[in-house]
Amino acid sequence: MQTPVTTPNATSLPIVELAGLELTLSSGAGKVHILRGIDVEIGAGEQVALVGASGAGKSSMMMVIGGLENATQGEVRVAGHDLTGMNEDELALFRRGNVGIVFQSFHLVPTMTALENVAVPLEFAGHADAFGLAQKELEAVGLGHRLEHYPGQLSGGEQQRVALARAFVTEPRLLLADEPTGNLDGDTGQQIIELIFRLSQEKGTTLLLITHDPALASRCARELRIADGRIVGDETRR
Amino acid sequence: MIALAWRLARRELRGGIRSRFRGFRIFLACLALGTAAIAAVGSLSAAIETGLGTEARALLGGDVELRIHHRPASDEQRNWLAERGDLSEIIEVRAMARRVGGGKQRLVELKAVDELYPLVGRLEIRGGQTLSEALAPLAGTDRAVVAESRLEKLELSVGDRLALGDAEFRIAGIIAREPDRVTRGIQLGPRVIITRAGLDRTALLKPGSLSQYLYRIVLPADAGTAPFIEALGEAFPDAAWRVRDPARAAPGLIRFVDRLTLFLTLVGLSALLIGGVGVGNAVHAFLTQRRPTIATLKCLGAPAGLVLRVYLLQVMGLAVIGVAGGLIVGAASPLIAAPLLSDLLPVSLTAGVYPGPLLLAAGFGILTTLVFSLGPLMLARDVPAAALFRQTVAGTRLKLRWLDMGGLAALTLSLMLLTVLSARDKPLAIWFVAGASVAFLAFRLAGALVMWLSRTAPRAKRPRLRLAIANLHRPGTPTPSVVLSLGLGITVLVAIMMIERNLGNRIQEAVTEEAPSFFFIDIQPDQVEPFEALAASFPEAGPVQRVPMLRARITAIAGVSTADMTPPPHFAWVTRGDRGITWSATPPRRGSKVVEGEWWPADYSGRPLISFDKAAADAFGVGIGDIMTFNILGREISAEIGNLREIDWATLGMNFMVIFSPGVLEGAPQINVATLRIPRDRELALETAVTEAFPNVSAIRVREILADVTRIMTSIDTAMKAIAAIAIVAGILVLSGAIAAGRRQRIYDAVILKTLGATRADVLGAYLIEFALLGLATAGIAAAAGSLAAWAVTTHLMHLDWTFTPAAMVWTTAICVLATMGFGVLGAWRALGQKAAPLLRND
Repeated sequence: MQTPVTTPNATSLPIVELAGLELTLSSGAGKVHILRGIDVEIGAGEQVALVGASGAGKSSMMMVIGGLENATQGEVRVAGHDLTGMNEDELALFRRGNVGIVFQSFHLVPTMTALENVAVPLEFAGHADAFGLAQKELEAVGLGHRLEHYPGQLSGGEQQRVALARAFVTEPRLLLADEPTGNLDGDTGQQIIELIFRLSQEKGTTLLLITHDPALASRCARELRIADGRIVGDETRR
Repeated sequence: MIALAWRLARRELRGGIRSRFRGFRIFLACLALGTAAIAAVGSLSAAIETGLGTEARALLGGDVELRIHHRPASDEQRNWLAERGDLSEIIEVRAMARRVGGGKQRLVELKAVDELYPLVGRLEIRGGQTLSEALAPLAGTDRAVVAESRLEKLELSVGDRLALGDAEFRIAGIIAREPDRVTRGIQLGPRVIITRAGLDRTALLKPGSLSQYLYRIVLPADAGTAPFIEALGEAFPDAAWRVRDPARAAPGLIRFVDRLTLFLTLVGLSALLIGGVGVGNAVHAFLTQRRPTIATLKCLGAPAGLVLRVYLLQVMGLAVIGVAGGLIVGAASPLIAAPLLSDLLPVSLTAGVYPGPLLLAAGFGILTTLVFSLGPLMLARDVPAAALFRQTVAGTRLKLRWLDMGGLAALTLSLMLLTVLSARDKPLAIWFVAGASVAFLAFRLAGALVMWLSRTAPRAKRPRLRLAIANLHRPGTPTPSVVLSLGLGITVLVAIMMIERNLGNRIQEAVTEEAPSFFFIDIQPDQVEPFEALAASFPEAGPVQRVPMLRARITAIAGVSTADMTPPPHFAWVTRGDRGITWSATPPRRGSKVVEGEWWPADYSGRPLISFDKAAADAFGVGIGDIMTFNILGREISAEIGNLREIDWATLGMNFMVIFSPGVLEGAPQINVATLRIPRDRELALETAVTEAFPNVSAIRVREILADVTRIMTSIDTAMKAIAAIAIVAGILVLSGAIAAGRRQRIYDAVILKTLGATRADVLGAYLIEFALLGLATAGIAAAAGSLAAWAVTTHLMHLDWTFTPAAMVWTTAICVLATMGFGVLGAWRALGQKAAPLLRND
């Protein structure tokens, strides 16, 4: 088992540093400039909302920060690691223990039980008691009775709770949440939001939350606004 | 309703056959492979049979052929035959041909012909001369034409002289085509044709010599064959000849082709059935993908029956394409195979399209498609409209209705019935159907067992191993398909390899431990003493084992004429023609043992007794005390069964089905057969000495026969392995299909795992372990099943000793594991390189 990239002492460092970040993707119609020079820093323990219209570049920015997409230009440092130039496997090793991601569409492995889904990042990180920790995490999100259920046997809210447990189980330094309530009804969505904020506070995890919902964005201490691939607003609330 | 279903089906197809039916490549390949195998075998068989029909008279050499052993027909019989048509007499005998002036000799199949030969067809000689031209004596020397095969050992060519018995012949030409060359029994040497007068000069024909007299008649155009044979039977009811007409011109060949056709058809059907698993998987994967469409159609008011018809039409449309592909290959096979088989078969293949076998193959293809695809189709029919509104379509579990199961059972039964009804050997087909059903069930259970074991296995500490083991039982796993399809293919291969090794071992044992170096036949009674003296002059030779022999035909068993009996097929040979018999005061020293009754005293001189083969006695329902009647050179002799022997026919000794007590046959014309063991480097010297001293005695080298047997076995073995390969190809197709069907899922899983911190090595490692475990489990089960099948065939069907040969298992297991890993990882390769972001972004 490969060991995860060690996290340097980052207490005095921003957890996310983006400088001149550009992302250009190729499509059938030609090149599309998704991100056009983003400079932003996010400090450890911050709770940041990233808002903007559809197609503004929110998810792409999150993908780059999570090491799921390589920047075309600029610098990307996350948790003290320079992601530019890392290959696919180095990025995977970086994510272990540093980044947890929650998607709008949950993205659970459908052929794995809830317990296996939560245990798998711990297994990759080489934890001795991956399944014990996974079970505790599932119990913490109220799914202790659904351990052996497959995603297809769970409701949308339950699936997202599994995804949350999976994201938090490695105690990442940064949680990226991309419209985590987008596929859920109001009440269920509210429960998920409460869980995200509670867990990130309890574990001291930095939160970067993508949302369309102004009310939800207003719960974060800082709000970044993105339009046409550029940061057009950066507001910090007291 | 059908029109509407057709319209809807066409609309679905309009969306692009290639994109919608991507998973159907395996479906088409599986169907085409199985159908092509069955159609090709059927078409080839029909082409051979048509060829046989066309050439039957030429193969027989006339309208009717009579065959008598050891002696010619009487003058009365010959006159009777000559009055009714053109009559030709041929004598066949085995003899030693020697190179004049050199020390080389070899056994040849000698044929002495009259000037009318061949009555039908044409014997072709290289260079274009006619047979009568070639055989006409030249400058007082008889002439011969010879077949080229193996004659080169004598280093002879056209113009050279060879000695046969007491006469010399000059080789006048090489036989290019012998019209009546259908094999009669084992050919021990090349064909040499001489004239009847030439044969007389050889002095090879002695009383009791192992010769055959053939009488061929061409009847007048208005005389039927059947009335002639009937009249013949009435005129000579006791004649010891075998009568054949063109319908039975080559019974051995017809039997061989029949057996081979059935065997290969069943193998083709096995491939089709294994491929059926792939057909079912492809249909299942396609319909799972179409679930939202089905739910939408239902929301818009489509009844269940209409949904079934829409998709049944699409699946059957594709099946017709796959089957048609197979039929084209099958139909073309006689054309492709004709030049390849021309040297192996005594008849030419009649090229053409044979609708019967093609229809049968199409029937098998369509029925197999229905049996394997109707289940998923019926489940798709029951997809509820509400599925559209559920997030978890996968959670909707569907079950077949009782009526559906009844329908499926009826279809399966039809497939079984078609298999049995279309086979000439019905019992064998029934065994196949039963065996295939048991094998399918057993491998389904084995697949479930593998899944259960992986589910209940303790959780592995290493994540790659844990993921791999978990993958074996996850929803949508290819485990059951792979275990079933690849397992069946590997079972066939293991069984064939083990049977072959056991047979090979048995031959090897026979050669090293028991086999004599020579069989000497046609030793006349007055030659026995000088022969034994000559053998004794070779001090390195072992003792001569010698028995007297004459030919006899069993005419009645326990008072019932053999003409009125229908013996069990495997024992038909017992009463079919003349058999070699002997007599002895003492029981044989090896090769058989008395298992019932007592051997007669050495000085026995009472009423005639016989010692009979136990297996044959059981087959004919006779035992000690029953009377058997024999026709020996035209004389009827009855004898009582005194004891029964279990005979090991596999030993290379002199085994006789019937041994008479002393005092009965001694006076009859007889020959002696002897065996002798001598070191290999002295074989040629002994053979030369015997042939020079006794020109009429034929020496058969056991080593050469064994080499022939081994060569034939190797050819059969290669053919069997090629056939097993078809089954394995079908298995691999299913494996690839099952993995391809899950490819999207694997890509998705790999992306998520990589998002969660897995490296490509983690993902690849898990896949490799998964497919290695799957291959190992499949190979293990298949090796056990194959060994069991091989053991059953070797001990119960072939009655041979069984030796477990682990090498065959190791090889097949290695092949299976490597094939599964190779095809598995190949199928999942794309998952490794898939970038995470596009998939997560687009979802």
